[in-house]
Amino acid sequence: MLSVQRIAQKVGRRLRQASLQTANWKRGLATASEPYDVVVIGGGQWAHSPGGYVAAIKAAQLGLRVSMSLLWLGSQTKPCSQTACVEKRGSLGGTCLNVGCIPSKAMLNNSHIYHQTQHDLKRRGIDVTGVSLNLENMLAAKDNAVSGLTKGIEFLFKQNKVDYIKGAASFVSPTKITVDLLDGGKSEVETKNFVIATGSEVTPFPGGSIQIDEQQIVSSTGALALQKVPEKLVVIGGGIIGLEMGSVWSRLGSEVTVVEFLGGIGGAGIDEEVAKQFQRLLTKQGLKFKLNTKVLSAEKQDGKVHLKAESAKGGKEETLEANVVLVAIGRRPYVEGLNLAAAGVELDNRGRIIIDDQFNTSTKNIKCIGDVTFGPMLAHKAEEEGIAAVEYIKSGHGHVNYNAIPSVVYTHPEVAWVGKTEQELKAEGVQFNVGKFNFSANSRAKTNLDSEGFVKIIAEKETDKVLGVHIIGGSLAVKRMEISDLGLPLGPNAGEMIGEGVLAIEYGASAEDIARTSHAHPTLSEAFKEAAMAAYSKAIHM
Amino acid sequence: MHPSLRVFSSRAHQPLIRFLGKRTYPSTPSAPHAHPAAPAELKNHFADFVKKFEASGKSSSLSTLSTGALSEFWEAPERLWKQDIAEAEIEAILTGGASLH
Repeated sequence: MLSVQRIAQKVGRRLRQASLQTANWKRGLATASEPYDVVVIGGGQWAHSPGGYVAAIKAAQLGLRVSMSLLWLGSQTKPCSQTACVEKRGSLGGTCLNVGCIPSKAMLNNSHIYHQTQHDLKRRGIDVTGVSLNLENMLAAKDNAVSGLTKGIEFLFKQNKVDYIKGAASFVSPTKITVDLLDGGKSEVETKNFVIATGSEVTPFPGGSIQIDEQQIVSSTGALALQKVPEKLVVIGGGIIGLEMGSVWSRLGSEVTVVEFLGGIGGAGIDEEVAKQFQRLLTKQGLKFKLNTKVLSAEKQDGKVHLKAESAKGGKEETLEANVVLVAIGRRPYVEGLNLAAAGVELDNRGRIIIDDQFNTSTKNIKCIGDVTFGPMLAHKAEEEGIAAVEYIKSGHGHVNYNAIPSVVYTHPEVAWVGKTEQELKAEGVQFNVGKFNFSANSRAKTNLDSEGFVKIIAEKETDKVLGVHIIGGSLAVKRMEISDLGLPLGPNAGEMIGEGVLAIEYGASAEDIARTSHAHPTLSEAFKEAAMAAYSKAIHM
Repeated sequence: MHPSLRVFSSRAHQPLIRFLGKRTYPSTPSAPHAHPAAPAELKNHFADFVKKFEASGKSSSLSTLSTGALSEFWEAPERLWKQDIAEAEIEAILTGGASLH
């Protein structure tokens, strides 16, 4: 190193003598590379959510300063931008983009169109014959959507000058990681601030009595890549992932049974009234439900899986037979190989990284966001945290309103909610008014032949402030029980409509504020306005 | 005023919505609190977390500057950092000065 310095000094003098540099020439010392301002760990396959790459881009947009080095020293990575994103599998976007929200939406949308074409178009005056499923092409369409979006993130990294390091990171100290590069070799990366965004992984079945092989016993990842439609599919877990995947394969022809330990479907935070109607509508579509049921074990035999289950409260054991079993009982934080102990970062008893409200871990200059820490495992929640975390780094201030994080189930009907449920408010002793408006009284829903469901707005009694919004909207209201008669047209889009509810809660709006805002006619959003009218006064069309 | 207008006026809707506009923050960083989604046990013992956090690693840039002690070069003002080396100089180093001729 010293010899390099001496050479540099000598050459520098000669350069000056030769007037190769202008008057503002300054000599540099050959010290180690200056670190990044921010290094985000996780923006790829193992990160459940896209919080990592969003944090990286936002950090670059905030102009977090980086010093540049033009000397490559040993195996150290040479920063050439403000921010770096280290990820493990060479595919950005996390589980959400690669094997989660995005591919599942491709399958949900395309299976919906297939099912609608088969069962719904006739009553709309459209005769179609020869409809058949080409699963290979449907899976290819899903893969194309994923690949296009993944490459889009790489482009955004280049555009925002974010270094993208493909490899597995492991802490050496609170300011340094080693990266096992995917292309081989190791690299050291030093930074002033880390953001851990390593996400989550599928929770294995408790006790290890059911092993996921991604062929017959699959996680959500395997459920998105089944090469043929299983005759019988059993879904363990009636949460969002289980219901979405169950819907996809039910539409494509599987006989689907959902086994849920709890007494209701939809997962945490869903309104009880919504959950009941949701289950009724999915049952009409052909899904079967076994609630309050505990799965004990699974055994593969003769190309089938035999599941043993019993009542959650204990009771007679029964056996369920399936061609494929989907284990969808949840996800857990992913920190494998990070060597957090070397950085002094602490976990709680559920394996989550402990943070404060500024996303600080127990070690200075190491922040953490997304599934790997507290809060719901939602992609958009992680994105909000990613932006806030780098804003805290930049300015000491950031903003995430955990009461205004929406949840959406992308089945048909879609279900969406934000804020508090009636049950939560009762438990907290808060007095409230409820305004509800059925899509059956909405003109657009009627013309769409898709008028099942409702909008429910919960407002504080004293102030009329909106505390919660719950929407279920989608399929037919007709009382036909045969699946061949159950149409699944495009209908009230709860996942899009909930955005208005999120804004209302974020800005502290009253039900009357919404009710006095003009909504275009004829649109499904008028049901939202009418529910708000019902909350503070009376609806017009009911 | 006409009685009906008075009645109407008294019932005029007062929006509850708060239009926050462009956010402005104080110049000093805000103090950390327990994460809202943290378990109750951790919230109740947040002071312990703060102690561990404060004891961890090195002091932040702001605090170290105030005490005058710097443990990393990037904590110093930028004018004291090394300057970039030009391509021509690198080339000169790598070629033992031959590129200058």
